[in-house]
Amino acid sequence: MSFLVSAHEESQESLTSLSRRDTMGSFLPDSSSYELLAVIGRGLDDLMTVNLAQYRPTGEHVAIRRIDLESCTNDMVTYLQGELHVSKLFHHTSILPYKSVFIAENELWVITPFMAFGSARDLICTHFTDGMNELTIAYILLGMLKALEYIHHMGYVHRSVKASHVLVSADGQVCMSGLRSIFSLIRHGQRAKVVHDFPQYSVKVLPWLSPEVLQQNLQGYDSRSDIYSLGITACELANGHVPFKDMPATQMLLEKLNGTVPCLLDTTTIPPEELSLKPSRSGADSGICEGLGAGSIRHSNGEPSSTSAGHPYNRTFSSHFHAFVELCLQREPEKRPSASTLIGHPFFKQIKRRPSEALPELLLPVSPITSCESSRPQDSPSGMASLESGLSHLEVDDWDF
Amino acid sequence: MPFPFGKSQKSPAEIVRSLKENVAYLEKVDAGDKEVSKNLASLKEILSGTGDKEPHTEAVAQLAQELYNTDLLISLIANLQRIDFEGKKDVVHLFSNIVRRQIGTRTPTVEYICAHTQILFMLLKGYESAEMALNCGMMLRECLRHEPLARTVLFSEDFYCFFRFVELSTFDIASDAFASFKDLLTRHKIMCADFLENNYDKVFTEYEKLLHSDNYVTKRQSLKLLGELLLDRHNFSVMTKYISRAENLKLMMNMLRDNSRNIQFEAFHVFKVFVANPNKTQPVLDILLKNQTKLMEFLSHFQTDRSEDEQFCDEKNYLIKQIRDLKRPVAPEEA
Repeated sequence: MSFLVSAHEESQESLTSLSRRDTMGSFLPDSSSYELLAVIGRGLDDLMTVNLAQYRPTGEHVAIRRIDLESCTNDMVTYLQGELHVSKLFHHTSILPYKSVFIAENELWVITPFMAFGSARDLICTHFTDGMNELTIAYILLGMLKALEYIHHMGYVHRSVKASHVLVSADGQVCMSGLRSIFSLIRHGQRAKVVHDFPQYSVKVLPWLSPEVLQQNLQGYDSRSDIYSLGITACELANGHVPFKDMPATQMLLEKLNGTVPCLLDTTTIPPEELSLKPSRSGADSGICEGLGAGSIRHSNGEPSSTSAGHPYNRTFSSHFHAFVELCLQREPEKRPSASTLIGHPFFKQIKRRPSEALPELLLPVSPITSCESSRPQDSPSGMASLESGLSHLEVDDWDF
Repeated sequence: MPFPFGKSQKSPAEIVRSLKENVAYLEKVDAGDKEVSKNLASLKEILSGTGDKEPHTEAVAQLAQELYNTDLLISLIANLQRIDFEGKKDVVHLFSNIVRRQIGTRTPTVEYICAHTQILFMLLKGYESAEMALNCGMMLRECLRHEPLARTVLFSEDFYCFFRFVELSTFDIASDAFASFKDLLTRHKIMCADFLENNYDKVFTEYEKLLHSDNYVTKRQSLKLLGELLLDRHNFSVMTKYISRAENLKLMMNMLRDNSRNIQFEAFHVFKVFVANPNKTQPVLDILLKNQTKLMEFLSHFQTDRSEDEQFCDEKNYLIKQIRDLKRPVAPEEA
């Protein structure tokens, strides 16, 4: 098959010229070409395991998303196929490319570049539990906006914009992923103005979704709903957790419809009395300024990292950052600026250096996973499966023919 | 006559002709060309409008006519490989939109493709090239919505390429090919039944290879599709033929015991048709009788955790009863 040959040539080439590595389809669709290393993540209700792996022909590191299809319903398989199809139609430096996709035993393997800092959510879970600093957030949001600008221009709505869907590579490159819920406004060569479809398998994304997506009314929604989700993500990155977290879905819906607007938690949004208190977490860190019963909101964020420095939200974000978030989180979708417009927002003026120079430094003391700790994968896909199939071959003649 | 669409002051006909020349140039230089991409983007704007602007009906008509006159669709597909990444998607957009075009009850683009069927086969062969497989797949499926075009592909020798494409190791391409394959075999029911009846042996010989595939997804999806095909009432005579053959029953009985529960489950939906058939052939009956006790035992323990699926449980109980009641027909008296 011609494309296999060319794929192989690509990989040979990448040994010598690193710049060519970005070419799509440069990894062989064959599980024996990859050595599985540590498990670096899970997802999709635990159907998916993400491994660090080494691509044998070149020795470079990749991430492999393995999904056990035997645990997936037929509908789920179709849904995953849809995602793969869409991902092949995108080609942008801020969108995580799928380098190779194939079936190994019962598993779907998706090969992607290895993003050594993990997702922005990993970063806030493991280190920046009270939120990241403003400049770091600016780099991440700008990367997301570049991806969204492309996605929207292509006539799609992402529908799953959140911190866990933005990844950072060892050299500070910011990439969006999470294309599973993406929806095309273009059907059969015609571009629709709005979407009415409610994203499947999206229970976990509810806190990020815009009021108009959740509302599911006849007016539908469009790419501006992603801008709302970006605003929520900004709060997530700044506060260390997503607004409306732990709130029952119906209550969250009502809050959003009634115009409750989450915000960045700092000295301008939290009353000074509360900030002077020891960090016994008050209602303020729900991230909802105008929340009704703020006291009723529970937290499971764990203890703040710095007890001596007083309240973790005793800090002040720039007025540009606050303004940016307010623009994104407006209740009326048509008032929210487009991704292209937001890229020019003064909030991003603080970015002076390239992400590759600045981000790894900003993320210190977190360092990217560089070496592959020799923690062997316990659940090697071939092990059990081949044993099972070996056994079954023994009794295959059980029927009398 | 100038048309008022934004930046582009050229008429649709002018853009089409300019694109045709630029594509011809692509062939010579064998490299991407900015002009082609620009022309394609302009055509896309004419067809779908931009932002709030609706497409201009008169401009679309002029564009379509010029596409037919210049055979631009053919040159675009022939040179798709040389067009850049975004340009390829614009070709798909242009193609899909224009195939849908209707004048009253007429679909002029479908008529055009009927007269230039090489377009269909170029698209089909597109699956062999990773860089344009999905683009070609999308255009092909747009064509397959129309019966005359689907018929051309289905009744051609090239249709059998699909049995290879759906097993390609690159999963996204294999999936796309399977979607087209399924469309071909299910969308236009009467035509599909006609095709399957008249090409039974050839098709099912190939199809059986898919059921034996090493690729988990190929196996699972082709088995599911087989069940759907056999249970579709349009395909009654195909089903009758299929369930008359003992080797098909053997295959399904073995798949009932596959490692994969999903494959077992899909096999059950084919197996049940053999058992429910009131006019079983002798070889089929023989196998069922030979395994009568084993089958009853097997089925009573088969996927018992699906107890909430009432239809499945009813069907299972029905099969157990049917198998229990199976009797060897009274042997005709020796003459």
